[in-house]
Formats: sequence, C-alpha cells, structure tokens
Amino acid sequence: MPQSTRPVFNRIGVDMRIVFLVALLGASIFYSYIAFYDLNFMTRSGRLGPGFFPRIVGAGMVIMTLWALADALRDRARVAAGGAPGADDAPLGGWRDLAILLGLAIGYAVLIRLFGGFISTVAYLGLALVLFNPGRLVMNAVVALVFPATVYVLFDRVLNANMPPALIDLPF
Amino acid sequence: MDIFSDLVMGLSIAITPINMLYLLIGAMVGMVVGVIPGFGPSAGLAILLPVTFGMDPVGAIMMLAAIYYGSMYGGTITSILLNTPGESATVASTFDGYPLAKKGRAGPALVMQAVASFVGGTVGVLMITLLAPMFSQVSRSFGPPEYFLLACMGLLTLIVMIGSNWKLGVISALIGLALGTVGVDLETGQGRYTFGSAELIGGIYFIPIAIGLFGLGELFYAFYSGMHRVGAGSVVQYNKESRFWPTAHDFVSTRWTMVRGSLLGFVVGVIPGAGATIASLMAYSTERSLSKHPERFGTGEMAGLVAPETANNAASSGAMIPLLTLGIPGSASTAVLLAAFLMWGLRPGPLFMDQNPEMAWGLIASMYLGNMVLLLINIFAIPLFVQIIKVPYRILGPCIVVICALGTFTVHASFVELYLMFAAGIVGFFMRMYGFSPAALVLALVLGPLAEEALRQTMTISRGSFGIFLDRPASLWIIGVTIALIVLLPMMGKMGAKAAKAKNAGA
Repeated sequence: MPQSTRPVFNRIGVDMRIVFLVALLGASIFYSYIAFYDLNFMTRSGRLGPGFFPRIVGAGMVIMTLWALADALRDRARVAAGGAPGADDAPLGGWRDLAILLGLAIGYAVLIRLFGGFISTVAYLGLALVLFNPGRLVMNAVVALVFPATVYVLFDRVLNANMPPALIDLPF
Repeated sequence: MDIFSDLVMGLSIAITPINMLYLLIGAMVGMVVGVIPGFGPSAGLAILLPVTFGMDPVGAIMMLAAIYYGSMYGGTITSILLNTPGESATVASTFDGYPLAKKGRAGPALVMQAVASFVGGTVGVLMITLLAPMFSQVSRSFGPPEYFLLACMGLLTLIVMIGSNWKLGVISALIGLALGTVGVDLETGQGRYTFGSAELIGGIYFIPIAIGLFGLGELFYAFYSGMHRVGAGSVVQYNKESRFWPTAHDFVSTRWTMVRGSLLGFVVGVIPGAGATIASLMAYSTERSLSKHPERFGTGEMAGLVAPETANNAASSGAMIPLLTLGIPGSASTAVLLAAFLMWGLRPGPLFMDQNPEMAWGLIASMYLGNMVLLLINIFAIPLFVQIIKVPYRILGPCIVVICALGTFTVHASFVELYLMFAAGIVGFFMRMYGFSPAALVLALVLGPLAEEALRQTMTISRGSFGIFLDRPASLWIIGVTIALIVLLPMMGKMGAKAAKAKNAGA
C-alpha cells in the first residue's frame, strides 16, 4: 500500500517516536540478555538449544532498533532545524481524547477484575459515553445498559462462554 | 471428476440449515466489519473468534471465512458513499466510486461493486477448487527445510511490501518472533521468558495480541486522528437518485475488466504478504493503462471501481490457497483464520484436504454460497449498512473496547491474557502511529514457533549444515521464488502507488 500523505506533523510526535524506540531498545536488550546468559545455544547432545533462535532474534532486534533510533534522532535534528519531517513521523492528533480513552480502558481492565464483566461494563460505558457523547443522557443511559446486557446474554447464556467473575461481590 | 464429487460433498455439508444460518450471520457481520472505517477483517476476525466457541467446527470456520471475505464487500460502501475506505483493500475503490456517487450514480456504483465483488470472489473460489488439490499434491514433498523457507518467504514478502518503512517492518516481525519464543521449549523442556508465571508456560497466545493490535490499536489511533469527532453528514444520499440500477452499458463495458481484475487479484492473493490492498491498486493501475480513456479515471469511471473490487475479492480467495495447502498464512487475516483452525484441532497443510475433506470442501463450497448471499445482501440491505455508517464513532469506539475485552477473556478465562490484550492495544497504537507493521508482528508470532521448530529439525537432519537449503530442489525453488518476489513486489507496489498518486494529482 502506498504511504499515506501526512501533511501535519508535530514535535511531540517526533519526540514520542524516540521515547517509543528507546523503550523498545531496552526491551530488546533485556530479551537478548536472557537469550545469551540464561538459555543454551546447544544442548548436551549437540543439537540446537533453546537459546539458538532467541539469540538471533534478540541480536536482530537490538541492531534494527538502534538503526531506527539513529534515523529518528536524525529526523528530530532536521525538524528542529525547520526541515521537513520523515515519512514515519507521526501526524498531529488529539492526545487529549486518546488519553481519556486509554485511561478509561485501563480503568475498565481494573474494574473487570474487581466487579466482574457486567457491572464494570455498565460503569465503563456510562462514563465513556458521558465524556465522548455529552448532552445525550437518555441515549447514553440506554446504550450503557442495553449493550452490556446484550453482550452478557450472548456470551453467558447463548454461547455459554466465560464471563469475568467478580472479585468483590456487590450486594445487588 | 474427483474435484466435482468432492465439491458436491462439500455442498451437501455447507447447505444444512444451521450452516447456512452461520454463513448468513458471518456474511452480515463481515459486511458490518467492512463498513466500520479503520476496522479491518483482521480485527473483526480476532474479536469475533471467541464468539464461535461452542459451535460445530465446520459451521464456525464457514462463519469466520464469511466474515473475512464479507468484509471486502462491506468496505466499499463507505468508499462510495463517504469517500472513506472501510479498510485498506478498498482504498482504490474511492478513486472512482466516490466521484460516481457525486455524479448522481451512487446506486449504480453500489450495485456494480456488489456484482464485481461477486464475480471476483466466485472466480477466486473457482480457482481454489481447481488449484488447491494441485498445490496440496506438490507440497507433500515438503520437509522441515521447505517449511522454514516458506515461513521466511511469508515474512519477507510482507516486509518488502511495507516499502520505505521496511526497517520498522523488520522490527515488527522480530517482536513477533520474540513473543513466539515465550513458553516451554518443546525439545528440551526448558522455560523461556516465563518469569515463573504458570500462564506463560504454554506461550503467549496469539488471539489477545491480535485483538489488542488490530482491535484496540486501531481504535486508539482512530480516536487520536479525531475520527470520533466526525459526523456522518457527508454520506451521499443515494436514495434520492432517479436511477438505482446500472445500465446495460455499465455491464458490457466492464466485462473484461472483471475478468482481468479477477485473475490478477487471485494471483496476487496467492503470494504471501502481497494481499488484497496491492491487488486492488494493481488492478486499478492496469485498467487505467489499458483504457482508451485513461483521463476519465478518477472522475467517475465505472471500470475504475469494478477493477479494484474484483481484484480485492479474488485476492481474499487466493490467500486461502497457501493457508489450506501449506498451513502458511500470507496475511494477518488468514493468520487469524489459521488460529481458528488450530483452535479446533485442525492443522492446515499438505494433508489437510485428504484428512479433513468434509472441512476443506465444506469451506470451499460455502464460499460459493457465501458470495451469492453477499451479492444479495449487498444490493438489498444497503439501507441497513447506511444506517450503520451513521452510528457515530464516539459511541461505537467504547463499545468496541468492551467486545475486545470480553472476547479476549472468553477464550481461556485468563486475566493475564486480558491485560496482555490491553498492553498490545497500547503498543499497537504506537506501532500504527510510527509506521510499524502490526500485521508483520502477528504473522511472525504465528509463523515464529513453526519456523523455529522447522529450522531446528533441519539442522538436526543436516547435522548443522545450512547447505541443505541448496541441496534440495524444492528448497531451491522456494528460494528462487522468494528472491523473485522480493524483486518484483516492490515494483508491483510502485505501480499501485503511481495509480494513487495520479489520482491524487488529478483530484
């Protein structure tokens, strides 16, 4: 697929790419460390050991991530000097709404563990809709109740699948 | 005659009322998945895979396959009415689909895309029927060296297609390979990267990662790019047009376009890593260069809509060939389908069609029926899908998070997998934003353990010599084909990019 044209870029996006790549480099080094120090390259019988493949993968990850990081740092310097950003620099976007959705999703993951599938879904959806679809109280309330109920019936009753159990039982 | 009797047997399995119901549900769901912008077949399949638990395996696979090829049909509706492709394989359909709608020909465009999709899909299934047994026969001589090379071929071609961001594609694939090494090493029994967790002993399951990357990752990106703030006000009102049905000229003028698009799409679809997006862009570009009036392309030319539509549907059928006959998925979507097969204890590969004829031929037969069902749904249920387009993303988005979370949990009732899915979603967002390839990651996660096992077996057979890859004719063939693809695929990609650029320049 051809590269999409990205007309608007921001400095935060360029910096965030570097942060992401540094985190990836850290993970790659950790992965390689275990591959080289904890896992054997060969077995006692002379066959390829459990460390053979991870060592190749780990070394490849470190080299490639370093290369991509060098590219990102070059891009950063170019953007800082007023030049055009690279093809893989991020477009300008809405961090605020994304942060809210991420926060809600993480909160939902915690709520599921505590209160089980149904209650947490109603609470999460109710809050998410209030924040993203404000001013439509009735519609939001209907969606926040009907959708989890439908999903519950589908998974728990029709398909007999596992629904997350509650750690804390509510009195209702 | 064997093929014919096998196909009849497959039809007798597929045509039972319950399987037809699953097929119908799959086709409808696939259309819905296709209609939702930024939500491709990989995400749809991964999220809906757990829903098929408790079903009969044949019905479940038929339903999942229908979701897969149904999404190709649905994605074009938004391309025509909203100028927003439902997924990447329908990008080329916006080039002439939307201009046709703006010219007051949305109705004919919608019907013609359904017909073109039907033709492409049906030709694709016809080719599967004829070629899959042959591929299966050839691949029986394959051993571990060939399987290792095929896995490498799948990954390499996918990375090559990423284009200028190939380095990030390699990193994505390496992350997938790394995740694939988690768990107990089957040869020595030693734990790798389990950190004492009992849940990681069996390895990182593919479904939470796929749901996180494709479902949540795409959703987060859609919110980042502000899709939830956009209303559906720009949907073209096709129902106010005087003529809904296409003219005889529309059919006659595009008959050879459909043939070319179907054949080209199928061939590109069979190549691991190439896929429906490249097929549709190539078909558009080819048709434009063959046309007597190339200047009309991009302004509402019916052939410009029909070509990518036949190609992307034929490609989605073509991609089933390596999956069914080699057990090697060529794309993220077929990787999820492979996971579905494995979930039911079925191992696609050279012996799959012989050992599971009911499943294999039932699936192939269901694809004929599925394309017919989709043709009818596509034409007569358009108003329903227009209503779905109008559901704002700000309501749909939070609901998708729920489906992803509960869908993941239902697989193994594991909270670790649920948290992994959320983590994969966050990583998937950054990957999407910075040009990494979630598809390469997922494909590598599926192919990694297979490649590692095959490589270790190969090294045992050859006593540590890599020369075995050059000694075996089948291996040499695969190496040759891989090199040819690495050289040819970027050229094919450039052809598609040129078509897109020409369209943008003309717009």
